[in-house]
Amino acid sequence: MTSKSLSVLEADALSIRRKFLKMHFEANAGHVGTGLSDIDILAYIYGKWLRPVDRFILSKGHGASSLYATLHHFGLLPDEDFATYYKDGTLLPAHPAAKALSAIPAATGSLGHGMPIAAGMSYAQKHVHLTEARVACLVSDGECDEGTIWEAALFAAHHRLDNLVVIVDANGLQGFGRTEDVMNLEPLPSKWEAFGFRTSEINGHDFAQIDAAFETPGDGRPHCIVARTVKGKGVTFMENRLEWHYLPMSQAQYEQALEHIGNSETSKGGGR
Amino acid sequence: VRVEFVRAVADVLAGDAKSMFITGDLGYNALEQLSATLGRRFLNAGVAEQNMMGVAAGAALTGLKPWVYSIAPFATYRCLEQIRNDICLHALPVRIAGNGGGFTYGIMGSTHHALEDLAVLKSLPNMQLFFPCANDHVAAAVVKMAALDGPSYIRLSISAFGTNREVLHEHPETLTRRYFVRPSPQKGGITIVGAGHGVQVALSALSHLGLDRENVDVFGVARFPWDLVKDTDLTASVAATRKVIFIEEHYRTGGMGESFVAAGMPLESFRILSASYDPNQRYGSARFHMQQCNLTPEALMAAVRGDQQPRS
Repeated sequence: MTSKSLSVLEADALSIRRKFLKMHFEANAGHVGTGLSDIDILAYIYGKWLRPVDRFILSKGHGASSLYATLHHFGLLPDEDFATYYKDGTLLPAHPAAKALSAIPAATGSLGHGMPIAAGMSYAQKHVHLTEARVACLVSDGECDEGTIWEAALFAAHHRLDNLVVIVDANGLQGFGRTEDVMNLEPLPSKWEAFGFRTSEINGHDFAQIDAAFETPGDGRPHCIVARTVKGKGVTFMENRLEWHYLPMSQAQYEQALEHIGNSETSKGGGR
Repeated sequence: VRVEFVRAVADVLAGDAKSMFITGDLGYNALEQLSATLGRRFLNAGVAEQNMMGVAAGAALTGLKPWVYSIAPFATYRCLEQIRNDICLHALPVRIAGNGGGFTYGIMGSTHHALEDLAVLKSLPNMQLFFPCANDHVAAAVVKMAALDGPSYIRLSISAFGTNREVLHEHPETLTRRYFVRPSPQKGGITIVGAGHGVQVALSALSHLGLDRENVDVFGVARFPWDLVKDTDLTASVAATRKVIFIEEHYRTGGMGESFVAAGMPLESFRILSASYDPNQRYGSARFHMQQCNLTPEALMAAVRGDQQPRS
């Protein structure tokens, strides 16, 4: 999988977006916008970066459905489980559940929890088990309001956890407004830098940039990739719209959304 | 109590390479040796309790069994959601040690008292609670915790009324202690049950105030969820007396007394001596605080006398 070309990853991401939209339409479920902003990153992580010994923690638990779609796409989530998404009796609720799926190590959903868990895993692997295992952790930009993100950042930098990579899905929107209006986070890359991370800032929908960021050589510090993304990426009427954090799709909107992502297949634009 | 705890944990850590010890920047004059011995298995997580619990969960997800240490209020309240979500929901073998339960930290003030710790933790899934009755009860609790596959909490406390008293019996599983048995168990009487170091109030009354030895049985309970089926001497005593006075250095609401009565034993009377909140709180030693909320050997004597009056 490590030899996968970027064009193949783009095709993976398109398939995952289709799968993801279908899931949400059939389940009549919200959180559509947030999934579309992180699918390219997930496609890269599962399509290229993650080795069997490595772990991925979705700290932004509201992105669960995009993770389910990604896991299913790459054969890491069985059809019979995947088909139950959002239904009574499922192991696939709107935020990842504890001990439900072998591919998802930790339940998340209350923001600011995944990153300390990822830091603990990184510490244990590097300093106690003495392995080469790596940990990737995806946080949202709004999640960076949580103090635990920065507690964990201090911890990771202090312990030189260069086996940890934190990706910030910086789509500029949070629960009830734009991040710049609710709680300004900028300059986000220099904040992470100041906390002791080596930092990359990329367009989170451009696989060449994603790949370059993940492949940059380490220098002993943990790595933070600030991925500038678009909430609702690929579906024009959802892009950068707060309401698509919450709304389910009608039949017409679903059909239109499928059309849009098909048309935007080669578009890398939008990362701010 | 810290000395006993550290000694017991050191033994566990020495015998289990998968264990580690995490402190929330506390342990001066107590954890130095442990730190020197354990290398990277000893971790000072700094003054960041939420991150500390998340880190412990993450370490546990890699196969480690972390002990996490702070003072009782800091090890429980701020990081409650991390304990719930990251540790308990995943049923991870994280062993939380809260030093200074109840009023132990007396003059340090309300922020340092832990009077709701058992209440908030006992409702969490998979959580097991240990609250030793005395220093010589700590090691047994540590050994029990080390054997668990899931989360646990130990409340380390020092009673303002602490007294050395012989233990008549200690159950190897429940850790319930029988401290005093009245000579003629058939005749009425009262069963006094102390939760953890709360039992020291009764032991002090026995040793120093002439608590009515003809009419009381005294037990210390130390582990929750209860397993009262195993505590046959305690249940036999309650079956005979049908009167219980429960003592806990903890608020009544959500405390262990409520859980004891909820166990459903047939009772004619059940009274709880507990800590209480005072909006006009003044501060002092642990003993001062216990006197302020009438959680004393004298108050127990009065309660015993009151329960022995014929009911009108």
